[in-house]
Amino acid sequence: MSAIQRYLAPTTLEEALDALRESEATILAGGTDVMPQSQAGRLRLQPTLLNIRRIDELGGIALDGASIRIGALATISELLESELINERLPILAEAADHFASPQIRNAGTVGGNVCNASPAGDTLVPLIVLNAEVELASKRDGKVERRRMPLESFFAGPGRTHRAADELLTAIYVPAPAEGFVAHFAKFGTRPALDISAVSVGIGGVWRNGTFKNARVAFGAVAPTPVRGRATEGVLEGSALDAAAIGMAAAAARDEVRPISDVRASAWYRKEMIHSLTKKVLTNVADA
Amino acid sequence: MTTKTIEKNSLIGRRIPKMDAPDKASGKTRYIGDLNVSGQLYGKILRSGRIHARIVRIDTSKAKALPGVHAVITAADVPDQRPIGVNKDHMPLKGDKVRSQRDEIAAVAADSEEIAEEALKLIEVEYEDLPTIFDPRDALKPGAPLINDFKKDNVAMVFDYSHGDVAQGEAESDVVIEDSFELHYVTHCCMGVSGVIAEFDASGNLLLYSNTQVPFLHKREFAELLNIDPGRIRIIQPPIGGGFGSKLDIYPFEPIAIFLARATKRPVKLMFTREEEFLASPTRQPVILTLRSGVRKDGSLTFRTVDTLHDNGAYTSWGATTPFVMMQTFSSLYRVEHCLYKTTAVYTNNPYAGSFRGYGNLQATFAIEQHMDKLAEAIGMDPLEFRLKNAQEAGEVTGQGMHFKTCGFKDCITTAAERSDYQAKRRAYKAAQGAPGSVKRGVGIASMLHVGGGAKIYPSDGCGTILKLDDFAHVTVMTGASEIGQGSETVLAQLVCEELGVPLGSVTVVNNDTDITPWDVGVHASRTTFIAGNSAIGAARKARDKILNAAAKVSNLAAGDLDLRDGFIVRASDGQVIMPLAKMLRSLHFSDKAELVMTTHYYEPPSVHQDKGFKGDVSAAYAWATQVVEVEVDTDTGIVTLLKVWAAHDVGRVLNRLGIEGQIEGGIVMGQGYAITETLMIENGVCKNPNFRDYKLVTAPEIPEMDITFIETMDGEGPQGAKGVGEAPAICMAAAVANAIENATGTRIYKLPFTPENVYRALHPALAEAAE
Repeated sequence: MSAIQRYLAPTTLEEALDALRESEATILAGGTDVMPQSQAGRLRLQPTLLNIRRIDELGGIALDGASIRIGALATISELLESELINERLPILAEAADHFASPQIRNAGTVGGNVCNASPAGDTLVPLIVLNAEVELASKRDGKVERRRMPLESFFAGPGRTHRAADELLTAIYVPAPAEGFVAHFAKFGTRPALDISAVSVGIGGVWRNGTFKNARVAFGAVAPTPVRGRATEGVLEGSALDAAAIGMAAAAARDEVRPISDVRASAWYRKEMIHSLTKKVLTNVADA
Repeated sequence: MTTKTIEKNSLIGRRIPKMDAPDKASGKTRYIGDLNVSGQLYGKILRSGRIHARIVRIDTSKAKALPGVHAVITAADVPDQRPIGVNKDHMPLKGDKVRSQRDEIAAVAADSEEIAEEALKLIEVEYEDLPTIFDPRDALKPGAPLINDFKKDNVAMVFDYSHGDVAQGEAESDVVIEDSFELHYVTHCCMGVSGVIAEFDASGNLLLYSNTQVPFLHKREFAELLNIDPGRIRIIQPPIGGGFGSKLDIYPFEPIAIFLARATKRPVKLMFTREEEFLASPTRQPVILTLRSGVRKDGSLTFRTVDTLHDNGAYTSWGATTPFVMMQTFSSLYRVEHCLYKTTAVYTNNPYAGSFRGYGNLQATFAIEQHMDKLAEAIGMDPLEFRLKNAQEAGEVTGQGMHFKTCGFKDCITTAAERSDYQAKRRAYKAAQGAPGSVKRGVGIASMLHVGGGAKIYPSDGCGTILKLDDFAHVTVMTGASEIGQGSETVLAQLVCEELGVPLGSVTVVNNDTDITPWDVGVHASRTTFIAGNSAIGAARKARDKILNAAAKVSNLAAGDLDLRDGFIVRASDGQVIMPLAKMLRSLHFSDKAELVMTTHYYEPPSVHQDKGFKGDVSAAYAWATQVVEVEVDTDTGIVTLLKVWAAHDVGRVLNRLGIEGQIEGGIVMGQGYAITETLMIENGVCKNPNFRDYKLVTAPEIPEMDITFIETMDGEGPQGAKGVGEAPAICMAAAVANAIENATGTRIYKLPFTPENVYRALHPALAEAAE
């Protein structure tokens, strides 16, 4: 017995924001989270189902000044295939390549992955490594307003974000990485496809003349939200990424995460896998 | 006038697509979920939220008041219900107390599934929790809570077997080893979920649309359960979306649907959700097994002592009886003079185990084949030579009384080993264990013995066939043997074609209606091709004799000089056409003789019942197999990747090459899931992963390359020489993977499954200990 009373599929952002302001709505983009979660009873459908797929301005992946703008409706497949992403933000393509299955990648969107706010969301860790910002739009006092916030501080808990009920996530902005920036991502699941990460690791930084600088480390599925690995960053800053430094960073990563035990892995094993993945990712970074 | 000649054209051994494949592949097959009968209601079951608790009060008044609800029943509404299951220890609706998470407390019949689900939420139940048992070892402790009051020691079943004298065997041994093995819960994961439609006609006759694998046994069991004449029960099986042994027993949902149909006087359809399928269908039998084995320095086995503890769960289904098969592996896979086997199955508050492809043999083989590697190592013998030295051969009668009339075991071992280059790889990988790098490779070998000519467990192990030809030479084969996806109807049609010389398209197999088809004991023990095949051949040969005798009179040739080929009666010596088969049939039908060609045959295999000590030649033939696996183990993560499987199977003879390849490939993948990915996580009696996200079936990218060889031993009793092989391919995998992990890493793991975390923990015991 569905709770949906009204279905809307606006073609402009303004119409969508009007609808969000006026009603309690479930926002539908790719549907790859909304459908299974509502069917399993984990997501309560609101009276209005707001399909945003027809709003052209929410799509696309393009350069925008000194940033790369990823529209909220860009699909995971688009990330994987985009030349701009593959050239400038290859860590995102790397994550997209490990994302669910081709069918889900074709439907699922980056905006959806971000707003679903799963601690295991596969695009979140690389986006945090890339210092991404989210853009949120709302219509207040008759005009469209936009604000930005760092993705890192967007998450409030599992499935919860700091998006207000009348706001729509419109795009993600990633500052164009500095010269010499290298980043890699790895996720650990028990099988090669269609698995939810038990843990994931993303590490980036400027790797030049044998020194690693501006290190950014993020972990997935070790806390209620994706988290920065600040202790690991501290160990890595200015390091030569030799075997000893990689070992120290991996140990720091294992020590700083506080995962839980669930059906996918025990807390102990998650820490061990953070250790293994950190070593693996750093080896990839050092080889670049 | 030119004379037409036809050459003999056999379908045996060819690659024949399954007859039901086009409909299944194009989505036209109507499984039970697609089947709806006029006037039907929808049944739903309320299951216990508690694990072990006394039911203090059930109030169904609010549920009954919900519009669209036609009946709400509890145990109090069916005072005549009788217990089901192998021990008759399981009431379909629980009135006194619940003993596990899945327990049925009440059921609803309503106009829609949604209303039925709403009604379940309105049923109020008050419980009083009771002390629980989750570890089967605790069930035997003094003062343990009782799960079923009539069993004061919590022991559901005991099996004792022996031949020889193990004390003498131990005295004669140069090396003795003992290890304990732990086997986990997995479940069948049939793509088609469980379901039933129950309907009474106005005269009180019961029609069941059921997915059962044993319609004739169930007819009798339902009759006992309902206290009605079995003659008033008809079971029709819609196409079944997977069985694998799961549909070998009656489960509470079936009598409950019948009770609802009786209460409402309407047909009631009851389908499981996928979550219910995980929670309430049976599992593979979990086992704690201790194996003690001895060997002489010359490499001959001396004795085996086996002690197993079966976690029976709260009720008894076929899982408790898996020792029937397990003891065969210990007593008879290899020649061993002395063997002592004991199983104790105990009640706990966990899910209960049923029958599952392999029937205990995966568990037994996991232990015995790891010990074969260890014993060889202990006496410094090559593990392959060690196995060959002790392997059974044709002509052998084992300590358990099994007589191997044909036996391709040694061919299986050498074929799988040679094709995989097992010995050279094993040596190279062992030498590389200490080399740098986190990714190691290993090979492992394991073999199995399983019944391949039925199993005489019930009073009869037979199967009946009724065969008829119409005026146009179309053949209808009515067989008692059910099709559960294994491809039996195609093989039966092939065997009939072979006798009657008709094309495959001229054969229809009817196999799903107890009012039409003759008795068969059911789909189990890899028996259908062997037993139903021989039965179909028997009926077809009677029809052939009838036709050729009639043709002899017309052609002035002896019946023995005639043959049936491609729809014609021909002269056997040169294939010269005498007349079309259809013409012969019509002339019989519309002549003064007025005769139709209709025959019947009942085949009973020449096997015997075991005596009270479980001894006797229980099957008419035995199947053998050896599988070698090559794995990669990432010691940084514990991930075990299966690279390739070499399988050599003694199948008697290949009947449908495409079908048997599919069956072996499917079995290997099922064995792979058991070994590496699948585990039903039961924590304090609660299933933690009742869904395909967290219960990891093997997916396509994980399926390894396979090299399958068939050893054709042409069994004298088998249909066209074939043996049953349905269960065989799943049996060796876990043991072979365990041996391969040892070869790769030097670490032997005695506990399944080999999930990354379990393997990582075993590879890094110091890290794991430090954390605890």
